Amino acid sequence: MTSTSKQKSNIMKSTLFAPLLSLIIPGSGQMALKKPWRGFTVFIITAVLAFLVEWGLKYYEIGKMTIGGWTTSWLWIPLILFWLWNVLDAYLISKQKTAPVIVAVILAATVLYLIAWIVTDINLDRLVTRFDAAKTVATKVVNPDYFQVYSNGEYKVCGWKCLWEYVSAKVKDEPAPLVSLSDNVGDIFGRKGTITATWWEKLTRGVQIGERIPGFETGKLIETIAIGLMATLFSTIFAIPISFLAAHNIMSHVPGGKLIYYIVRTLLNIVRAVDTVVWGLLIIVWVGLGSFAGVIALTIHSVAALAKLYSEEIEHIDPGPVEAIEATGGNFFQVIRYAVIPQIIPSFLSYTLLRWDINMRSATVIGFVAGGGIGFFVLETIRVGGYQQYAAALWAVAVVIILVDLISSKWRNRILEDKPRAAQKTTWSKIRSLIYLILGVAAFIYCWNVTSINLKNLFNPGVTFGRLLKDFVSIDLSPSVLAGVTKQMITTIMQALMATTLGAIVALPFSFLAAKNLTGKSRFSAWIYVITRGVFNVLRSIEALLYVAIFVYWVGIGPFAGMLALAITTFALIGKLFSEAIENIDTGPIEAVTATGANKLQMIIYAIVPQITPPFLSYLIYQWDINIRMATIIGFAGGGGIGLTLNNYFGSLQYHKAGTVVAIIVIVVAILDFTSAKIREKFV
Amino acid sequence: MLIVKDLVKTYPNGTQALKGVSFEVEEGEFLAVIGLSGSGKSTLLRCINRLIEPTSGTILWNDIDITAAKGKEIRLIRRQIGMIFQQFNLVKRSSVNTNVLSGRLGYVPTFPSLLHSFSKADHERARNNLAMVGLEDKAHVRADSLSGGQQQRVGIARALMQEPKIILADEPVASLDPVLAHSILKYLEQLNKERGITVLCSLHFLDLVHRYATRAIALKDGQVVFKGLPSEIDDKQFKEIYGQDAERIEIS
Repeated sequence: MTSTSKQKSNIMKSTLFAPLLSLIIPGSGQMALKKPWRGFTVFIITAVLAFLVEWGLKYYEIGKMTIGGWTTSWLWIPLILFWLWNVLDAYLISKQKTAPVIVAVILAATVLYLIAWIVTDINLDRLVTRFDAAKTVATKVVNPDYFQVYSNGEYKVCGWKCLWEYVSAKVKDEPAPLVSLSDNVGDIFGRKGTITATWWEKLTRGVQIGERIPGFETGKLIETIAIGLMATLFSTIFAIPISFLAAHNIMSHVPGGKLIYYIVRTLLNIVRAVDTVVWGLLIIVWVGLGSFAGVIALTIHSVAALAKLYSEEIEHIDPGPVEAIEATGGNFFQVIRYAVIPQIIPSFLSYTLLRWDINMRSATVIGFVAGGGIGFFVLETIRVGGYQQYAAALWAVAVVIILVDLISSKWRNRILEDKPRAAQKTTWSKIRSLIYLILGVAAFIYCWNVTSINLKNLFNPGVTFGRLLKDFVSIDLSPSVLAGVTKQMITTIMQALMATTLGAIVALPFSFLAAKNLTGKSRFSAWIYVITRGVFNVLRSIEALLYVAIFVYWVGIGPFAGMLALAITTFALIGKLFSEAIENIDTGPIEAVTATGANKLQMIIYAIVPQITPPFLSYLIYQWDINIRMATIIGFAGGGGIGLTLNNYFGSLQYHKAGTVVAIIVIVVAILDFTSAKIREKFV
Repeated sequence: MLIVKDLVKTYPNGTQALKGVSFEVEEGEFLAVIGLSGSGKSTLLRCINRLIEPTSGTILWNDIDITAAKGKEIRLIRRQIGMIFQQFNLVKRSSVNTNVLSGRLGYVPTFPSLLHSFSKADHERARNNLAMVGLEDKAHVRADSLSGGQQQRVGIARALMQEPKIILADEPVASLDPVLAHSILKYLEQLNKERGITVLCSLHFLDLVHRYATRAIALKDGQVVFKGLPSEIDDKQFKEIYGQDAERIEIS
């Protein structure tokens, strides 16, 4: 008798205890039932959503309602449903079942997206009511300021129409209008004019340094290219030694290496979490405005990113040769030289090329804060409303970046193929290497000059730099500042969330059109493929920060414009990645499922969907990471979020507060990076 | 003479790879180490040149205590012990010549070796050793452009650069087509007979053991279950070493 009643109470305990726990603290029941991951996730989601609902009510009155004198938000309803789901889940787990996750996802997403919608200031009606503005800006964007026509004693900017009229008149042998390249082209690409002599002119033309002499004024685009090249070169040089310090398998062989490893890894993560543009803000205080500041900012961020990739590559080398060299009696340095370095050369080169691509993109926006390159030009043109000049820069950037992307990826593929080549060098290959070397050195000197690198400035920091360092150590943590910064940070995260979602949803159908194995069978679908891919590539080549101006014109300054700009780049990159994932599917399962007599829809569900889900998820998380970083700077161009706050604090020399913003960015980016890495591990 | 006594290796995750292994190897022997995968063969061979740290036990080699050696002493011992690996462990992107020369690293001063500077004598040695394994014409091609059998011959040439007194061969033919196995083992046999180099070689196939080894030991679950002449392994011994389900197979 006693044993039966005891058994009964045990059952009572096991079926009701866990749900009760979960009712009090969400997720604790799941944890008690040995599902720690599930329990922890439920707890975190509940806590974050509860905070957001209350926060939204306080600052934005989201879902505000009053019941008998008691004010609250009706967003608590889905949240309470989520809470109840968690209780049900705990109950079902004790019965060896689980509650459907999709219900929880829908409830949580409802709360999250409703708040995101309000916080990012989404006003779809503005897209319609201000459609005329959109039309105006679109006309300007498609008619960049490349040409001017002379009539009635003055020059006027004119779009492609002029070129067409000019050419058709010439062809028909009629008197052509007086069309010439506009001043704007000179600004972007360069023109004959006067330059300030540097040591190079002193050397070659015998003038004094600082003298104004006739010469070729470098265009902003050329300056941008030079910034990207120099940053890539410098960051590679610095990242190589650092990467060895951040490689676990190397440092565990060195006394005290473990400690160095952890310190270096942490530093790299912190430096990487701060976007290039934010680094730019810090650097201009140090060396002043200009291309040099841009080069430094890019280099710093790029060193951290490269060193991380390099060190992971070192950690993944084949341990066989290491063992073999150790077995011959070789010492630590000989092992590195003969077993490690030969293995890592191709992947290091390919990462450098990838970084070059990324640096070129960053170089187009660094000017927004650092005052060099095309970013500075764009900022100035927008300020005076010169949208045709801005458009000219945009198109030029697109062409350059598409070329860089093409060269970099072609080159990378060739390196990663890593075909054995003849070890004995022919005379011709020796001459060719020499020509490359000379060209390389010449390009280096030219870029050094163009980006006005001045190492002396490094040791002669700006007047407020000391204060900046001091203030960054004692950042402002007063409640009012924290509340303001938190508000902007949440806006920033929500912008990234909305942009990722919106961009991905729109990109999904297009990605099928851009997959070569699905299209490209007939001439018509081949054209669809080419056009979709083309659109992806052109849109992808321009950074979100450069798009903001268009949306600011359309829907006004604020987070909505920034979100839309982010969504455009998301659409382009996700579309490209998705379509490549579709192209990479294994045809074996398709064949197998078709062979069982399945129809097309069944084939898609059973053979294609399972294959593309993991890469799609992985790319979404990757894009979300990118968007978070991008969203932190989108405010520099009027796109709302934390960037604007940061810019204001820096501009008004309130470094205490700027430090708070930077610290919060680092923490938030680190947490989100960690979370997405965990999610990827779990599901992909 | 190499004396292994009560050798124990417990990995940090708790796996006991060797549970008190003792045996002796006379100079000039060709000792085969047999046993199933996971029986501890690789661990045993790697304990002898200290690529793996034994947990306890001693390894004496001509009165030198290998297990007690530290730092530079280990490297001085290692350079007299050549090693050949199942996966060849060549640096695939380096040339054959560089791979072979790297076998000399234990002898050369560090700084010149980092600049890839080797003496004339070492280059001469590399040429001779490559000629010995019949690959003198492949010196300047990349290692990964060779076939598996050729790569293993480069591995032998690399070990010979050390002018070793012992060669440890860890499953030297397991990654090769069976028909290539003999060509590799014949080189080892030749080195054993002509130069008197002691060979410790772990092998999978029993008929290779019969054909090449002068003596054999068998490991099972980290313990020695057989010591003796290869011809002494009868059906009963075989079942004991490889388990009841095993069948004898032969390769020609």
